[in-house]
Amino acid sequence: MKRWLHWKFLSALAVLGAGSFLLWAQEDAVFRVKVDMVVLSFAVTDNKGRYITGLKPSDFRVLEDGIVQKISTFAEGNRPPVEILDNGTVRPMVLTEDGGDGKTGVESRADAFVGTSVFVLFDTSNFMYRGFVYAEDAIADFVRGLDRADSVAVYTFSRNLSRASLLTKDRNDAIRGLRQAVAGDDTALYNGLLLTLRDAAKVPGRKVVIVFSNGPDNASMIAPDDVRAVAEDEGIPIYVISTNEVNRDPISSNVFRRLATRTGGKAYWAKTWQKQVEAFESIREDLGNSYTVTYYPKANPNDGFRKISIEIASDVGKKYRIRSRPGYRPRTSF
Amino acid sequence: MKGSVLLSVAVLLVPVLSATETADRAMQLVSAGDAASARSLLAQAARANPADPVRLREYAEFLERFGDPEARTVYRRVLDALGSGGDAATRQAAAERLAVLELLAGDSAGAAKAVSEYRAAGGAGLNEPPSGPVSSGGHPTVEIPGPLRSFSRMAAISRAGHVSDVLGAVARNVVTNGYQASHSNDALDQTEYLKLVIRYLAQARELEKLAGESKMLRVPGCESAEAGELLRILGFRMRGGCGAEVVLETVNASRAFLTTDSGFPVADLEQALRTNRPFEYDFRPTEVPVLYGPDYWTSDRKDKGEPFIDILLSDPSLCRLYLGFSKLDPDTATALKDGIPVARIRAFAHVLDFFGGMFEIRNGKAMYPGGARAAGVWADLVGAHPDKGAEFYEKLLSKDDGWLASLYDALMRIEGPAQAYLTDPDRLKRFYTAVRGRITSPGPARPVFRSNTDMMLLTTRLHMLPNGQPHIPGSVQVWRNLFVSHPHGKYDGKLTKLAQGWKEPDDVLEALFALSRKAVENEPLKIFMAVSDLDRRRKQPLADATVDRLAREYRIFGQQYVIFNDAPAVRDETIIQFLDTAQSLSKIRNQNLRSDAIGTMQALVSLWQILSRQGALPEEKTDTALSGILSEFSTKVSNSRDVFDGGRNGIKLLLTAAGAEQGTDPQARLLDLLAGSPGDAESHGRLVQQMNRVLESQRMVSLTLILELADHLESVAGGQEMNNALLTRLASRVAEISLPRAPLTSAEKNAYAFGYWTEKHIDEQRKTNLRAVVERARGDAEKLREARGLLAPFLRDILVAYSYAYYAPPGAQILYTNPLFVRGHDFLGVQGANQTWRQTETFGSGWPANAGGRLLGSLTGLPYALADAEQNFLIPTETQALIWGDLVPQMMLSAKLPRWSGVSGVQLHWVGLHLRYARHLLAKAAIHPAMRQALLETLSSKAPPRRTHFVARALESGDAAAAADAVLPAELYLLGLKMASTGDAGDPFVTAIRQLAASSAPAVTEAAISRAFGTPKPTLANSYQPELLNLRTFPTLMGYSSRIMAESWESNTLYWAALADELHIRPSQLNLLIPEWTQQVVERIFASHLEDWPALLYSLRTVGDDVRAKTRQTLSASLAGSADR
Repeated sequence: MKRWLHWKFLSALAVLGAGSFLLWAQEDAVFRVKVDMVVLSFAVTDNKGRYITGLKPSDFRVLEDGIVQKISTFAEGNRPPVEILDNGTVRPMVLTEDGGDGKTGVESRADAFVGTSVFVLFDTSNFMYRGFVYAEDAIADFVRGLDRADSVAVYTFSRNLSRASLLTKDRNDAIRGLRQAVAGDDTALYNGLLLTLRDAAKVPGRKVVIVFSNGPDNASMIAPDDVRAVAEDEGIPIYVISTNEVNRDPISSNVFRRLATRTGGKAYWAKTWQKQVEAFESIREDLGNSYTVTYYPKANPNDGFRKISIEIASDVGKKYRIRSRPGYRPRTSF
Repeated sequence: MKGSVLLSVAVLLVPVLSATETADRAMQLVSAGDAASARSLLAQAARANPADPVRLREYAEFLERFGDPEARTVYRRVLDALGSGGDAATRQAAAERLAVLELLAGDSAGAAKAVSEYRAAGGAGLNEPPSGPVSSGGHPTVEIPGPLRSFSRMAAISRAGHVSDVLGAVARNVVTNGYQASHSNDALDQTEYLKLVIRYLAQARELEKLAGESKMLRVPGCESAEAGELLRILGFRMRGGCGAEVVLETVNASRAFLTTDSGFPVADLEQALRTNRPFEYDFRPTEVPVLYGPDYWTSDRKDKGEPFIDILLSDPSLCRLYLGFSKLDPDTATALKDGIPVARIRAFAHVLDFFGGMFEIRNGKAMYPGGARAAGVWADLVGAHPDKGAEFYEKLLSKDDGWLASLYDALMRIEGPAQAYLTDPDRLKRFYTAVRGRITSPGPARPVFRSNTDMMLLTTRLHMLPNGQPHIPGSVQVWRNLFVSHPHGKYDGKLTKLAQGWKEPDDVLEALFALSRKAVENEPLKIFMAVSDLDRRRKQPLADATVDRLAREYRIFGQQYVIFNDAPAVRDETIIQFLDTAQSLSKIRNQNLRSDAIGTMQALVSLWQILSRQGALPEEKTDTALSGILSEFSTKVSNSRDVFDGGRNGIKLLLTAAGAEQGTDPQARLLDLLAGSPGDAESHGRLVQQMNRVLESQRMVSLTLILELADHLESVAGGQEMNNALLTRLASRVAEISLPRAPLTSAEKNAYAFGYWTEKHIDEQRKTNLRAVVERARGDAEKLREARGLLAPFLRDILVAYSYAYYAPPGAQILYTNPLFVRGHDFLGVQGANQTWRQTETFGSGWPANAGGRLLGSLTGLPYALADAEQNFLIPTETQALIWGDLVPQMMLSAKLPRWSGVSGVQLHWVGLHLRYARHLLAKAAIHPAMRQALLETLSSKAPPRRTHFVARALESGDAAAAADAVLPAELYLLGLKMASTGDAGDPFVTAIRQLAASSAPAVTEAAISRAFGTPKPTLANSYQPELLNLRTFPTLMGYSSRIMAESWESNTLYWAALADELHIRPSQLNLLIPEWTQQVVERIFASHLEDWPALLYSLRTVGDDVRAKTRQTLSASLAGSADR
């Protein structure tokens, strides 16, 4: 019984990702207990932007505020994760339907850490009116081409968010939801993005959000940087495909760039259908060639922004570039 | 606890208790708020005595009173237990109740059987219910190509509506959204919305042709010719050869857009092509009824041969006429149709649309406000006697471009002393003349929304005194002075002249009527209403001098007057003190200091408002508490220490007035008070937790720490050592305050001078280093004491944050995501706009590089503004759902601001009983025709004629469920209340209602129920005190948008109260559940237009049904579990 409780507890933590708990004791005293598991996705490229694959867990050192972290699990692309034992050796994670592998406390769903949960956020506001159907085609192509292990959700937004298709492995369901999208009016991009991140944060394992938008926002109450902070803290890379030209709307372009780079994602400017397809192809490639590690942060008095850095141990690795989120804030939730 | 002890004892005694004793004990349990135990007790008694009809009946009646569906089964068992030889009266009663329950459950056969049993037991007066649903009127139909679902998507019509309402909804959308002024000439241009609908119809016709005779789109396989033709029409093509690789892609963007926007199943088609399976799609046209058939509408047109839907879309004036007719009750509409040629009535379609909803012809006579004594004056004004039905309305429509019709409509919507007063023949003429003015064009029906809103407010909210006279705040003299010498210039030249001779109340009312026809803001009416509403709640009306001051300073401080309605015991002197203080604070030259001083003062007043409203401050202390707070800011505030001291003393004063013990943690105590009476520790704890979550997300420095630091500085000044731990706690919190983000790009900065002082306010806090200040001042006692001024901005923010946390709406995101949202509250606003004392507004949304939206202005409108800011984070379940601007914030406000900790189970049961009693009566009227008239008469005082007529038809056709569902919960409550006063004493509902009225009289008075289950109405009643006004729902009104309309909806809380009673939910749990349920209601609304109340009602009931199902499932599971054990 005790063991069951233990695993359930850890499972809940995994679901929360970088979440935390607050327990209420008698006499209204407040105890905050922070037990965070950090999920960190990153891509390694050479100086020409080509992906470097095939690296081993022992090739990486993850530091948080300069403190070296012990990596718990490691995965490359959409391959199943491996568990890193204390002696540095690895072993495949035995994931069962009823309670995870019994050691790392990962979520109980057997495939929780296999593949990526991809949330596509499609702008259906007035700004997208002209390119609406071509955008749908490009997104549909992207959904079809996702790795079998990946799950996909399609959300749309104008003033409000709409969950056109919930997270599914069934590509037809996702495309059916996409094709049912209705053109809307105002554009509340950052409101919609925030809500999408909130949904994504509830999903265990690796997840990304892909925003497909024209750019200008005329209705959000949330600032892009507040949304970016949520993505950083939750460890969710944001990929942005703007259907505008980069110089056409420099404000939005800068915001998109910042959102993407600070969360470990990428930004694309793709006005034509062909460019949009290419952007999606690039994202797919990124997902297939990224690494994902998890770790439990070591004791750190810093309750504010914790800087994450990833180093490659070998000399050759020093020439490589690593793209990941720069850090996160361990947040106390109630 | 008490209830469960009672139950345990009672359960043990069940075998030996008589039926009466069991019933008495069950009643005691209900009175103690433990209906669940009462149910168990009665259930056990019934189980133990399965052949005892008395115990079974008691159980059945209990279940019926609580709306438990099990009642039907138990009544059936009562009848079985009675057999054919039982007491005839008892059998009749049981059969009658069963028949009604069967009808409400939609089981006509069951109802018919029960009626037969009733008759067999010797009963008379009940008819067998006619079978079949209520008919939609039997109008001829026309075809709209393609499925209704697709057309509805394109035409922006809710799928939840009835097919008979489709053309009315289309007409409304065409009127409001279909046409716009042309850039080049006087003609109207089609909007993009309408162009798409028209293009869709063209595409749908092509598809219909392709579907052929069978009206079925069929594609046998990927390579078939049909596939190619279908794809061409849809605007798609195949990429890749037939087989698993085929995908559909756009080839014609216009067509493909229509295809997806109308919801054509492209994905299914693609899947069929990919797997080479046949694709079939039903493309039968939709038959929609047309009022009186298409010929009536096209009789004066040359293009009669065209499909009716095309004619309708192409003609906005025809749409307006159709819309006007669709709002009338069918009998009246038919009378008008038959009495007035279509070409003539079409000229006044706009008047019919706005002011025809209350038209009603009965037995050939037109209904009119004021009764028999007003018949003559209506005949004079209109030019036809009301007895002449259609002719009366024809003249009314054509009179003065709608001014008289607008007065008629406003007066028809009210009742009682106000209507009697205003329809006095002489007054009616006088007020009409004032409303009409000399120049009648443009009339009030010309704009998209009705324009003379103020008149409707005046007639609806006129405060009548017990002597039948209207209340004029202050005296006529005050109003005369205001009109003659207004500080901001004349309201109206003619009225200024006339005002000099004013002597009586009607002079003032006449002026208000006259001003209500003007398009400009009617400030006198707003003052009149605001001060009337203050007087309405006070034991003593405000003195002339106070009213005079309030009237003269309305323009600057008027939005603050709502505050005083939360504590009617506030004296005139304190109100004047408020105005003096506000004036004095507004004169502080240092903007930062002014912002902090006003922010702190407003935050304290906001907390005072909440605590007064919740009863945490005893009524006799509300005045001294407010006066004490104001005194802290009345004298000159010259630096941040004064602000800090004012804030600190103000909060101590509030806590003391609320009875907080000395030495308690101030933040914990305050949150405790805000969470309301801790009747239910779990709910109370969760409310405190919710508020703490907001404070934490906003990185607030706790009030306790701030006050400890200030006290400690005093101690250090007295020679004590500095407590470093305290300083560290402050410093670590300060470190968490984010950088103020640039609120504007440079281009935006040029356009608005906005945000500068807010940035400074935040920056000032980030730079606070109390440790350094203390070290520098070491040895200088005065400087150490002065250092507390550095804490003033932190104190302001935490005090403001309490109100934000208290009003945090369900589904909020900004409060948890933007850590500077509270700190960013801008008390100064845009330079030159003087927003410090105005309503709270949202500002700054939608700029891509901005710092996020924020609130500005005073805190008086905070509950609404917060809900407004957060509403777009609700996620509609329907992709097309219309979440409209003003209704949603008001619904959220009504779910969050009232608190139910002080409400008793008896009060819940009182509301539940009345709602269910009214439904019972409506259902009974379906089989008891003699009852109908009285019920419909009562209903017609609140429901419009068209809906009353629908209920009548539903009852005639035996569709009791449809009849009951068409009545709003607020109307059901009033219906139950009215009918219970004269109801049959033997009826279990009436018995229970009278027992409650006798045993719990103070809890169930009209005022107590209004306070417990009413809604706040800051616009309509100038008050946040929840109350029931029992008004007809308002239409959309120009100038107020739909806020007043939203405030006139009072059904939600009454519905939730009845639901909670039915499911035995504790009142204190409602503080958590109602916001949650309301969020679900909003997310499920699928409305076609702003006045689509049925859509809201449908959503409300859907959520209620879900809650019922889940709660009963849990209950059954727990009962099954306990049975197993």
